[in-house]
Amino acid sequence: MNMRKTGHEEVRVLLGNVAIARGIVEAGCHVVTSYPGTPSSEIVPAVVEFKKELGLSTYIEWSANEKVAYDNALAASLTGKRAAVAMKQVGLNVASDSLMSSAYTGVIGGLVIISCDDPGPHSSQTEQDSRFFAMFAKIPAYDPSTPQEAKEMVKEAFELSEKFQIPVLLRPTIRVSHAKQSVKLSPLKVLDREANFEKNPERWAATPKYRLVLHKKLNETLQKIRERFESDTKWNYEVGKSRRASLGIITCSVSFANLMDILEELNLKKHINILKVGTPYPLPQKRIADFIERHKKVLIIEETDSVIESQIIDKSKVLGRLTGHIPLEGELDPDGIHNILAEVLRELGIANLEKITDSKLDKLVEKLKLQVRKPTLCAGCPERAAFFAIKKALPKAIYASDIGCYTLGLNLKAVDTVLDMGAGITLASGFYQAYHQDGKDIPIVATMGDSRFYHSGTVSLLNAVYNNARFILVILDNEITAMTGMQPTPGLGITADGSAGRKIPLKELIKGCGVKWIKTIDPYEVKNLVKLLKEAKRYTQRKDGGIATIIARHPCIIRFPEVCEESPVKVEITDDCNGCNYCLDFFECPALYFDEERNIVEIDRNFCVDCGVCIDACPKGAIIPIKK
Amino acid sequence: MNVQIILAGIGGQGILFSSKVFSELGLKMGLDIMGSETHGMSQRGGSVIAHLKLGKFQSPLIRKGNADILYSFEENETYNTLRFLKSRGICFVNLESVDQFNKSIMKFLKEQEITFRAYDATGAASKIGSTRSANIVLIGYSVGTGLVPFKYEDLKYVLELVSRKKNLKINLKALELGFKEGKLIGKNP
Repeated sequence: MNMRKTGHEEVRVLLGNVAIARGIVEAGCHVVTSYPGTPSSEIVPAVVEFKKELGLSTYIEWSANEKVAYDNALAASLTGKRAAVAMKQVGLNVASDSLMSSAYTGVIGGLVIISCDDPGPHSSQTEQDSRFFAMFAKIPAYDPSTPQEAKEMVKEAFELSEKFQIPVLLRPTIRVSHAKQSVKLSPLKVLDREANFEKNPERWAATPKYRLVLHKKLNETLQKIRERFESDTKWNYEVGKSRRASLGIITCSVSFANLMDILEELNLKKHINILKVGTPYPLPQKRIADFIERHKKVLIIEETDSVIESQIIDKSKVLGRLTGHIPLEGELDPDGIHNILAEVLRELGIANLEKITDSKLDKLVEKLKLQVRKPTLCAGCPERAAFFAIKKALPKAIYASDIGCYTLGLNLKAVDTVLDMGAGITLASGFYQAYHQDGKDIPIVATMGDSRFYHSGTVSLLNAVYNNARFILVILDNEITAMTGMQPTPGLGITADGSAGRKIPLKELIKGCGVKWIKTIDPYEVKNLVKLLKEAKRYTQRKDGGIATIIARHPCIIRFPEVCEESPVKVEITDDCNGCNYCLDFFECPALYFDEERNIVEIDRNFCVDCGVCIDACPKGAIIPIKK
Repeated sequence: MNVQIILAGIGGQGILFSSKVFSELGLKMGLDIMGSETHGMSQRGGSVIAHLKLGKFQSPLIRKGNADILYSFEENETYNTLRFLKSRGICFVNLESVDQFNKSIMKFLKEQEITFRAYDATGAASKIGSTRSANIVLIGYSVGTGLVPFKYEDLKYVLELVSRKKNLKINLKALELGFKEGKLIGKNP
């Protein structure tokens, strides 16, 4: 890696999540746990890299889900060690039960929660603001604007957590996690700490009566932290002290960085003073009130929701989301902030700033009617083969699916619901019961990936079995967590740092949930899978039947390309193709395209991986293997 | 010096690698780096775009009409990202022939005094048996023309630093090839 050394200082270009990992390591953290999810997935692999580079003894874990990750990190903290737990914002929903409770009982060694938000959303089911979770649980939050700041905040979060014995949240948004910056590195803190759990049942096993006492203590702690944030000038500071400025802006996270570049570019600094808030909860109320006092109007620009704004006591001079000046949803990109600014400056008669609108170029490009490139399953993806077979065998079924690459089964029209992790199974059982109550038994197919099944499938499945639900469950087992960047699953038997773990075979797990009918098949065998699905349906209808589970197992072709290269099936399209487009509509492989000139489907050899599955996708039999 | 660069293309064209090359190049030149990358779902065959700002910046994103240089590795992604380019900016597009580019948009670029360089980087890369190296060929080409403030030697140094062992030889070859062709054309073709 490239480094620039000035004196003792080393500078490296780091992705935001790698900078966060560096902060974890620099803080001397002993235990790091996580469940992958965009935009948080790069944190753990980066800790693994630093561990190798620096010869550290950090314990690093890809946990089965976020709650499991949280509890494992918390326990390390209770023994006096430092622990970090990382996840995406919706992962914090899963971990929230532990979060809320541990805010009361507190921690011993520093515990830092990193919850990466996704305004946009680019890769999530909601735009929820994790800072609200900090407020809800009553734990302090740090909100970084840049990778460098994120790294420094992680270190201070550990100090704060230890000083006040409270879990602390770091909330980077996607534009911090996936930003890239030249970051100054610092030496590592070495903390030799042996695990030492001091028993104290009154605290760690507190009964409701004592919980009230803990709640009171928590409120007192928060007050002390608020006072500390009031006098903090490292994360909460003003830019510009112009007495003539009638507009003040309170801002945070990447919005601050965006705003600073805009003011610089437009030479607006003399008209506007800024208060940057890096600690949105508990809010330094006095500092905020003082800043508002010194300005005619104050605009609040924060992403994604109104966490700072809603905590402000006197809002009479405040403009923001609650007054309709800031959009209620979506990312605040620089051009969006420019337009908010233009509107407010015009309203207050400060300056006439032209809004950014569609230019001549935008209109010219619009005329081209370019196709939007939507994400698709990769050429050769085993999940495509499984979805094609499901759609073919049970065209009228309800398809309850889940979160992962296979959400893209939407393109094959073989996904009807995507709610959250685990809901492939729970919605399938819920659909069954709702119809069954009316005396109707309709075909239902739940699809779920292997990683997701380990995440939250077992509890959903055993509940369905116990309550006599009947449906077909297809586990799309590609032996990896593919969408988020190929993290290992418990089925692979490899842990986060590459060392061996104990393998948990899917089949045994499913059997353990009480399922009696379990078959394993390679989804590349489309015809056999269609047959098997029909057999599964019959089992769900049999008197002594129940839930039928098919493990459709084929390794991810991106992670394990060698599996496909071992026995390639090179195909060609014959003159029998009449351009009916069936394969494009229902198989949608990126390696197949319509040749407008010849009016037939053709193969793009740049994409094709020679999986040969499309042979079964042509109703005319026009896709055939090339004879050697 | 402040330079803002947009890198555009589709998943698999080496956008993130190119972004790494330019950020390490900036570091080598003694500049601060700030930028943004696309990760996650859009990497599954979607558009991939990287923003890179060398110099004094705080925001990781480049605003519309502010980029100095646009590198586009695919025709359609060029249309989608030209809006980032400032008037008098420069763009290098991986294109078989300049004739296939939309005429009315080309006219607009002329009005904006934008330097437009189409170069068949994929074709050139196939000559050295590696179409995947088209990104490095195009970057080498841009340096060869003398239109961008980067040095061949610095790029070579960076490639040696960031390339995987098995790709280093072909990356250096791609850089050299692009650079030579760019030099032949120069600033004013």
